[in-house]
Formats: sequence, structure tokens, C-alpha cells
Amino acid sequence: MRAVWTASRAAVARRRLQTFVLAAVVLVCSATAVVTLGLMAAVSGPFDRVYNAANGAHVMAEFDSSKATAARIARTARASGVEASAGPYPVAVLRRPTDQGGPFGLPGVFTVVGRDRPDTAVDTMKVFSGRWATHPGEIVLDMPQGFGGARLIDQETHVLAPGGVDLKVVGYATSVSDSAGGWVTPAQARDLGAASTQMMYRFRDAGSQAALTADMAVVTAGLPSGSLTGTGSYLTLKEHLATGPNTYVPFLTGFGLLGLIAAVLIVGSVVSGAVVAGYRHIGVLKALGFTPDQVTAVYLVMVTVPAVIGCAVGAAVGSVLGTHLVRGAFWGISGNALVAGKASVPAWVYPVVLIGMPVLVVLSALLPAVKARRLPAARAISAGGVQQTGRAPAVQRRLGGSRLPRPVSLGLGWPFARPGRTALTLSTIVLGVTTATLAIGLAASVLTFDRTQEQQDSVQVTVAVGNPAAPSHPAGPVHTDEQLLAGLRALPGAAHVSADAPLQTRMAGSADAVRMDVRTGDTTALHPDLVRGRWVSGPGEVVADSTFWHQQGLSLGRRVVLRDAAGRQVVETVVGEQTDGWDLTSTDWNRFVGLNSTRRATEFSVGLAKGADAHAYAAAARRLDPGLRPSLNTGVGPIEQAVISVISTLALLLVGVSALGVFNAVVLSTRERRKDIGVLKAVGMTPRQVVAMVVTATAALGVAGGAVGVPAGMLAHRIVLPLIGHGTGRDLPASMLHVWDAPLLVLPALSGVALAVLGALLPSVRASRASAAEVLRTE
Amino acid sequence: MPSRVPSRVPADGEVVVRLTDVRKDFGDCTALDGVSLEIRAGEAVAVMGPSGSGKSTLLNLVSGLDRPSAGSVVVGGEDLGALGEKGLALFRRHRVGMVFQFFHLLDDLPALDNVALVGQLDGLGARAARQRATELLEGLGIADRGDVHPASLSGGERQRVAVARALMNRPALLLADEPTGALDTRSGEAVVELLTDLHALGQTLVLVTHDARLAERCASRVVEVVDGRIAGARAVRRDR
Ligand SMILES: Nc1ncnc2c1ncn2[C@@H]1O[C@H](COP(=O)(O)OP(=O)(O)OP(=O)(O)O)[C@@H](O)[C@H]1O
Ligand SMILES: [Mg+2]
Repeated sequence: MRAVWTASRAAVARRRLQTFVLAAVVLVCSATAVVTLGLMAAVSGPFDRVYNAANGAHVMAEFDSSKATAARIARTARASGVEASAGPYPVAVLRRPTDQGGPFGLPGVFTVVGRDRPDTAVDTMKVFSGRWATHPGEIVLDMPQGFGGARLIDQETHVLAPGGVDLKVVGYATSVSDSAGGWVTPAQARDLGAASTQMMYRFRDAGSQAALTADMAVVTAGLPSGSLTGTGSYLTLKEHLATGPNTYVPFLTGFGLLGLIAAVLIVGSVVSGAVVAGYRHIGVLKALGFTPDQVTAVYLVMVTVPAVIGCAVGAAVGSVLGTHLVRGAFWGISGNALVAGKASVPAWVYPVVLIGMPVLVVLSALLPAVKARRLPAARAISAGGVQQTGRAPAVQRRLGGSRLPRPVSLGLGWPFARPGRTALTLSTIVLGVTTATLAIGLAASVLTFDRTQEQQDSVQVTVAVGNPAAPSHPAGPVHTDEQLLAGLRALPGAAHVSADAPLQTRMAGSADAVRMDVRTGDTTALHPDLVRGRWVSGPGEVVADSTFWHQQGLSLGRRVVLRDAAGRQVVETVVGEQTDGWDLTSTDWNRFVGLNSTRRATEFSVGLAKGADAHAYAAAARRLDPGLRPSLNTGVGPIEQAVISVISTLALLLVGVSALGVFNAVVLSTRERRKDIGVLKAVGMTPRQVVAMVVTATAALGVAGGAVGVPAGMLAHRIVLPLIGHGTGRDLPASMLHVWDAPLLVLPALSGVALAVLGALLPSVRASRASAAEVLRTE
Repeated sequence: MPSRVPSRVPADGEVVVRLTDVRKDFGDCTALDGVSLEIRAGEAVAVMGPSGSGKSTLLNLVSGLDRPSAGSVVVGGEDLGALGEKGLALFRRHRVGMVFQFFHLLDDLPALDNVALVGQLDGLGARAARQRATELLEGLGIADRGDVHPASLSGGERQRVAVARALMNRPALLLADEPTGALDTRSGEAVVELLTDLHALGQTLVLVTHDARLAERCASRVVEVVDGRIAGARAVRRDR
């Protein structure tokens, strides 16, 4: 064993650079693995952990107070299967703080629960700003933490309830169960006309929707029929958070998966490359009298020790990077700082990487090491050199006769001399290029999706309307919606103007509130991209967002029953599917907005005439009314930024790993060709010609890698995107698939060459500096 | 027999190599110390001496493969100490041809391309370079082996290819370090004959060897190196 250890140490010492590269590759790959596994786990992991930590309700039930008394409802807590409960609490339904839409969210229904304290056994809440409501006339609002934070409470805010009740906001809290929009004292809730009672449960068996249904059957067994008016399950909430209103989780998952595969392949190729490159050394060992087992052991020790070190450091780096990215991604995905703040790389990732990566390294080393075991000493010694195989001589002859500068044609010949090595290097480059291509494609798709949702191609300026009820009390408009619409149209440069009034409504047959966008003005000219069907032609027609379309199982021509602004039922026909994010979009302004005197436009969208100056238009719009806040409809949303930063970090990691892989391959080949390079220098090859030769040898692979990797990346993009759409239950606009144009393709195509040149430059310069006299003396 | 006389031959008697007070250290080891030497055009100098005495080191300094630690090396009027890496490479390419004990051919390339390569490095077209290489191989009697890779050539053939490569760019100076050291007697004889002929045609030659008989046959002057110093020199009388 001592001999093995000594020989391994000597082998490592002889290959310091190569050992360093091996450790570095394993390091970056381990970091990548931690990050990607962490990200993938983040999709479901943090929710469960955070939800359980806050004792989130498994089921939130609402009972009709007129059918079941509070005392009777309280007894349901003792039903078998119930682990913990909170309630009963009186529930009052209010309009939003003012009906004009704010301070937060959309105008519409607003649930106020009378609750005496936040730290209940179920749905344990933390008041992160201000304090709990303890007196009549006080209210605590539900708000994701980090959404303004502690400063929120500095501004005195009031909620005006129907009947002239003025509620002062005394605190902000986050309910993981999403149990209410605000909380008051129980007495206050009853004063506000509470007609139902809220009860929250955690069950022993809560693994599936079926289990929850069975649990609820037990809970409600003794209650008068019809007293349970509604339930909300945490599973729905989880689903909503995980796939959410946006599409990006699978982007990350898909990309993470690719990263993992790339990391595994590259580590495999670098390790086996290192062992193959050592064949000559193996022969020497055998000649010295090492047994085959000892030879295998030497090689395993040689690669395992640096690999384990690289893996440990990589896991640490991955932990820091991963936690940062996971938080960013989860903030982007959930918008919930409570969830995002506690998100981290799950603990199981570390043993998986710390054990898995060295195992992978040993396995990749084992194959060639076992082969080395069988290699006769003489063969092994000669195997170290460059062999003439297959078609290589013909290729060399043709290259020698070509018009290319001789260093270039010599370099081009290298890949043919060692097809095995070439294949490994090529696959490393292909992986890097494929990753880069896919990353660029996905980023472009995300941006396109953002552009499509924001209609950045047709709407150049958006004009927000100030809402005096918002926390910062911005100035409200002095003009009416009609006057503003006309005024904005009349400003120079305007081609089309439409007004938006987002609101919440109810749809018959659907428990959740429906988020609806109502538009007026030049809606036809400014309508969002349609996946299918057509844009609405007038009242009585709506288009549905793709996610909502699939959730509700809609089809063209389907009738849906909505509530208009006066609370009456209206029948609307679904005529199209779009992707702008609002569940439903209508142009029936009179019915949904006009009928309610307090509702009004919150935003205007302006499409400018060709060549019009958007800045000038925005300035003019600002002068039109002090309540208008125009902004240019450009830029990238924060969620998109988070997703793109995650994608590009992963891509950079993987391209870095590929570059290291290439670097490793070039180090190996220049080492093998030390003598050749020495001879060439002796007969007058200049240092620059040496660099040209080595770089050419790799750049040739870079070109080939680009030629394979770019289409492979495009193909992956083509396969992954529809899968993402399918997975999230939405149709993606075709524009997301067709993101490729010439400039976008140039980047990844060049990345292969860039990767190769990057990886080759250092070793080639090293080779060009090495003393020829020294090399020729020792070889 | 070489078909052509090397063309860039300096006039007879002109000093081609001038070493002045040259020292060469490798770490603690001083390989050469206070060596001064002049070699004139048309001379064939044999450098002799025991193993480790500094013969190869001397040759490497003359060929511009290495730089002296002190003193000056002037070859063909060029002070090698003043040249950069690129300058040295171009110097080796244009002014000297080198023949090594272990041939040092490129295994990837057939014999012909090994020779043509040196011309191509200098920008000579492939066709022209191969043409000249063919002529050289013809002159050395191995034209039919041009397509063969070094691995399939005999030792003597390999060394003749190496000589052809050394002559490719018509160097003023041909340097050979133990050119017969790795050859059997018969192949060695052939190479010796070749070098003798080249010298007879006017090629200036510096030859490192252990072999006194070889020195006698090829050289016009023998320089003795012992422990990194020139221990003596003598002219070789020869019937021409
Ligand atoms: N690159 C080097 N690094 C360290 N020492 C060197 C180097 N080159 C030569 N030497 C030392 O310099 C001395 C002279 O070496 P050189 O190769 O010139 O001898 P030589 O006369 O050619 O011997 P031989 O007849 O065995 O070829 C030796 O002691 C050798 O060990
Ligand atoms: Mg020597």
C-alpha cells in the first residue's frame, strides 16, 4: 500500500496542472450540482417547510353562521383526525379599502376575519410591521413580507368599510394559509356584518385531496346540512405557488437537469482522459514490478484525492451560490418573501453531491484503469505516444499539401491523430455550446414572453393613474376617464390609446375570484397576442388567458356567467385565448366599470405613431393631468430578471466547466506532443506559430462543436419549451419558440470557438515558451 | 549524393561562428566555462570529449536553441544574444540545419512532409516545398521512401530524412549531434559518407561525436571539450 501511495503522490506531482484542472472541474461541477439540485428542490421544498413551520391550515373552512352556532363549530376541533385547529372566527366580506383599487391589489371582494391573536395553533402568523388589532376601529392587513417592510406602518392608512366604519391600519402580517385579507377584533368583525364563520384545521392525514375530503366529512358529520359553505385546501395553494401565475419553474428545472447531465459527462470525460493519458506511466509502473491491482489503485488514488477535495470545496461554493439563487428564484416565482426568505438548498443535496460526485469520479476512472490493468507493459509504454490509425495518414498528407499556413494545417491534423481524445474534447465543447444555446434561447423566450405579456411591440407608453388611497397618497386625476382618454389621444404622436380597469369578479362554477381586465378605447388596435380564436368584437364576448383557459377547461364559444359591476349576472362568450396574464379580458366598459361610479381606469396604454418620440409623449402626458404617471413600456420585469439571472448563472457555470474540460484536453495533448513541439521549434517554428498551431487544433474542434452544439441547443429549446407549456397547463405563444434570428445564433455559434480558444490559449502559450533544448534533451 | 550544393554558402574562410568567453550554467552546474571558438566557412569541425563535458550544450548555443549565461555567440554575423525568441526561431529556420542522435522526426507526417515542413514554415508553397524535398530525398538515395511514416523507416533511413530536413532551407551551417549514435555500424557508415560528401561540396559542418574514427573521416579540425572547457584543437590532415 505504501508503494501505491508513493507512486500516486509522484504521479500527482508530475501532473500538477492536470491534477489542478481535475480538482477544478470537479469543484465547478459539484457547485453546479448543488445549485441545480437545490433549485429543483426549491420548487416544492420550501413550501412544505415554510408551510409546516407556520402551521399552515390544511383546510380552511367557512360555515354559514345562521345554520351552525360558533359553539357547535368549535366542537368540530375534537373530531377524530384533527391534529390542531384555530377558530371559530367571524368573517365579514368587505369591498376593498376603497373601490378604486388599492392600496394593494384589485378592487373587489375583501375578506376581514375577526381574530383575537396572530399566534394560533394553526395559521401561526407573525406581525412583521406594527402590532395586532386589539381594539375596535383597528385592522391588520395581509401583506407579503418584504413588500415595503417595516416602513409601511409609518404612513397612516385607513380602510373605509361600508356604513362609514373607519378602520385604522395598525399592522401588517403574512398568513401562509392565505386566510384573510385583513384581521380585526372579533367584535369588530361582527359589527361589520359577519355572516359566516372561519375554522382552520390541520389533519393527521393530509397527504392528498382525497384524504382531506375524508377528514372534512368526519369534521362536518354532526353539523346541520348546508352549514359548510366553502373550503380551501393547502394543496391548491401549494400548486398555485409552485406553478403559479407564471411559467418559469419548469424553465429552471429543465435547465437544471441539463446542467446536471453536463456536469456528470464532463467529470467523466476529464477523469477518464486523465487515466488514458497516464498509460505510458502505467507501463513504467508495471515494468517496475507493480501488480495489476496496485496499478489500478495508483490510478484511483491519483484521481480520487483531488476529486474529493474539489468536491468538498465545490459543495461549499454551491451552498452559498445556491442559497442566493434559490432565494432569488423563489422570490421571483412566489413573490412571497416569507417563503423566499426561508428558502435554501435542502440538506439532502449535500450528501448526494458529496458522495455522488466522488463515486462518479471513481467509476469514470475505473473503466480505463481496469483496461490499464490488462495492458501489457510494453504496449502501455508505446500507447503513450501518438499513433497512426485509420484514415489519419491520408488526412495528414492532404493537409500537408493544402494552401493553409503550415502551423494551421499541422494543428488541423492533431484531432485526427487521437480520435478518442478528440471525441471526448468534442463532446465537452458540444455540451458547452448546447448549454449556451439553450440558455440564450430560454432567456430570449422569457424576454419574448415578457414582451408579449406587456405588449411592448404595440404599446410604447403606459400611463398609470394615481390612486390617492394608496400608501404613498399620490395625487389623483382631476379629469374623468373619458376626458383622459380623449386627452391622451389628442396629444401629438398618439396613434392608439386604450384604458384598463383591472378588477376581481366571480364566475359561476368557480370558487376562486376571477381576475379580469376591462378595456376601452382603441382596444382592437392594442389587443394582446392571441394563441387561438379572435379578439372580442364587442360586449358579451371575452378572451381568456391560457392558464385560466386550461384550468377551467374552456373552449371557443363557451358561455361563462360573470357578475357585472352592479352585482348582476351576465352571460359572456369566450372567443379567444391570449397570454397577457389576466384570467379574462372584456371590452364591456359600461357594464363592468361604468355601472359602478367608484371604479375607474387605473392605466392607459398608448401605441405611438411610427417615429413618434416616446419621451416627448410621456412628458406631454404628465402635463395633461397631475394624476397621470406615464412611463415607457420597456425593460424587463423583476421576475424575468430573476429567472434570467438564474439561467445565466447556470449557463456560465456550465460553460466554465466546458472551458476547463477543453483546457484539460489541451493540456493533455500539448503534454503528449511536447517532443513534436520541441522539434518544430528547433527547426524554426516561432512562438507565435506554435500558439497558432495549438489554438487551431482546438479551434477546429470548436467549430465542429458549434456546428453540432448550436442545432442541438435549438432542438433542446424546441423540445423543452412545449414541455414547459404542457407542464404548466398553458399554451405558449408561437413567438416564444421562434426566438432565433441571425444575431442571436452568432453568439452560441461563436461560443464553441471562443470556448476552444479560451481553453487552448494558456496551454499553447506555455508550450510555446517551453525550452526546445530542454525537451529534446529529455525526450 | 546530394543533387545540389547548398546555395547560401559564405565565402571560404569567412568566420561563420564566433564564440567569445562563453559560459553556460544550469542551476549550480556549469556546463561550459570560458569557451572561445571560431569556425570558418567551409570547415568541418568535430567536437569531441567525454560524456557530460558540454558538447551538446555547445552545439545548442551555436544553433540558437539555448542562450549563453555569459559571453557572446555570433553566428553568420548575428549576435544570438541580441535576438528575441522569434528572432532565434527565424535564425534556426534560415541559418542552421540540425541533425540529432534520435532523429526527432514528426511521427504524424510521412518522410517527404517532414522535410517539406521546414520550407512550408517559412511560407514556401506546398507544391514547391514538396518538390525540393523530393529532390533532397533523391539526392540522399531515399526518394522511394517519401510516402512512408518514420515509424516504418529504418534508423539509417530516418537519419537521412533528418539530414534532408536540415538541408531544406539551405543553411549556412549544418549541426549534427551524435548523428550515428543510434545507428548500427553499416547505417552509420552511410550517414558518415553523406556528411563527408556534403562537406566536400562546401557545406560548413559542426559535428559532435564520441567516435574518433568518425571525426577523422569527416572533420577538418577536431575540438576537444573537457569539463566545459576547450582542452585543445588540432587540424586533421586529409588527402583530398
Ligand atoms: N538542461 C539542462 N539542465 C541541467 N543540466 C544540464 C542541462 N543540459 C546539460 N546539463 C548538464 O551540463 C553538462 C553538459 O551536458 P551536455 O549534454 O552538454 O554533455 P555532452 O558532452 O553532450 O554529453 P554526452 O556525450 O553524454 O551527450 C552535464 O553535466 C549535464 O548534466
Ligand atoms: Mg550530448
